[in-house]
Amino acid sequence: MAYFWSLAALIPLNNYGHYIHWGVIDISLANFIVIVLMIIAFIAALFLPFPGRSRRKESR
Amino acid sequence: MSTKPFRPDVDAPEYKGKYVPYDIIKEGTIAIIVVGLLVVLLATLFGSPDERAITVKAWSNADPIDFATTALGELNGSTVTAKYGAPYNTAAPGQNLGPLRLAQFAGVTIPVNTVRDFVINPLSSLPYDKPLSAALTEWKSASASQQKSWVSNYTAGASKMTWSNGQINVPATNAGPVPELINKLTSMARSGALDQALVTGGGFYTTNYTKPLLFVADGTYLANLAQKQHLLGSQWGMMNETGSYPGQAWLWLYTFWYQVPPFNSSSNADVQVSALMGLLSILLLLLPFIPGLRSIPRKVKVYRLIWREHYSA
Repeated sequence: MAYFWSLAALIPLNNYGHYIHWGVIDISLANFIVIVLMIIAFIAALFLPFPGRSRRKESR
Repeated sequence: MSTKPFRPDVDAPEYKGKYVPYDIIKEGTIAIIVVGLLVVLLATLFGSPDERAITVKAWSNADPIDFATTALGELNGSTVTAKYGAPYNTAAPGQNLGPLRLAQFAGVTIPVNTVRDFVINPLSSLPYDKPLSAALTEWKSASASQQKSWVSNYTAGASKMTWSNGQINVPATNAGPVPELINKLTSMARSGALDQALVTGGGFYTTNYTKPLLFVADGTYLANLAQKQHLLGSQWGMMNETGSYPGQAWLWLYTFWYQVPPFNSSSNADVQVSALMGLLSILLLLLPFIPGLRSIPRKVKVYRLIWREHYSA
């Protein structure tokens, strides 16, 4: 049980967060990272090939 | 036989391409398993926000002067709750949207009398205490103008309020029972009894935290804690979370309006921002029926990038 508690505390996030200020924008670093990851996922979804694409080409 | 002209964005062209089998059950199962594993992994690594609940007890022990000043504000009617209007009282017209008095239309649905509900009733629920009982009797038997005079006299000296030896001290004269009421309420709060009295005041089930939340929010203690965590409305707080956890990033547009004029200085910002977001949501919902806007996806051509295999054939 103690092992799992120590595992959960490997990356503690209960301390005060870091914030990015840019004009009227005031965004937490954590939110910024999540938004960047979402944009990366969107771009990857656009450009990565569909699974099974090569198989379909071969069967043509 | 006449044929109608093809209308882009309205008519769907007949699909003449190749059909490929697609297993949505398989894809859904894989997605659930992958997301489930990610949730377990991230929860194990990072845990979740675990802030202690902010109670009247915690507040009054951390800052007894702020608590006593707020309690006095509940007596003299200067707190946010006392002056809010609907749904708590009729002290103000409340928020409106142009000529629409929306708060007044809804009316007082959660009646809160700050003197009775936050001070007198909780103190009356305490076990018998001779000085307190005498103070309560004196207060209840006095006229409204006499009560107002006592509170005004006490308020006049409240800027010099001190806390020593477990007592609130205010250099005030002709304040009647008010010093005793404020001191006993502070002691009650510091013991935790006021939390219980405010919660259980609502009825049999003890899940209605409206009154203790309003009381705590009337002080500066909660606002100071919220400011440190970037949770105030003026800090994009709606999309933030305590600590370093990511928050509700999808509320960015909702909270954005609170940062810019005219909403950031409007006393009706809540209803104005809600109305604006409602209007934008309706526009999004009706997008397929709005000429020009509905053509954007066809003209931007992102779909050709996604289905490039089909369009290159």
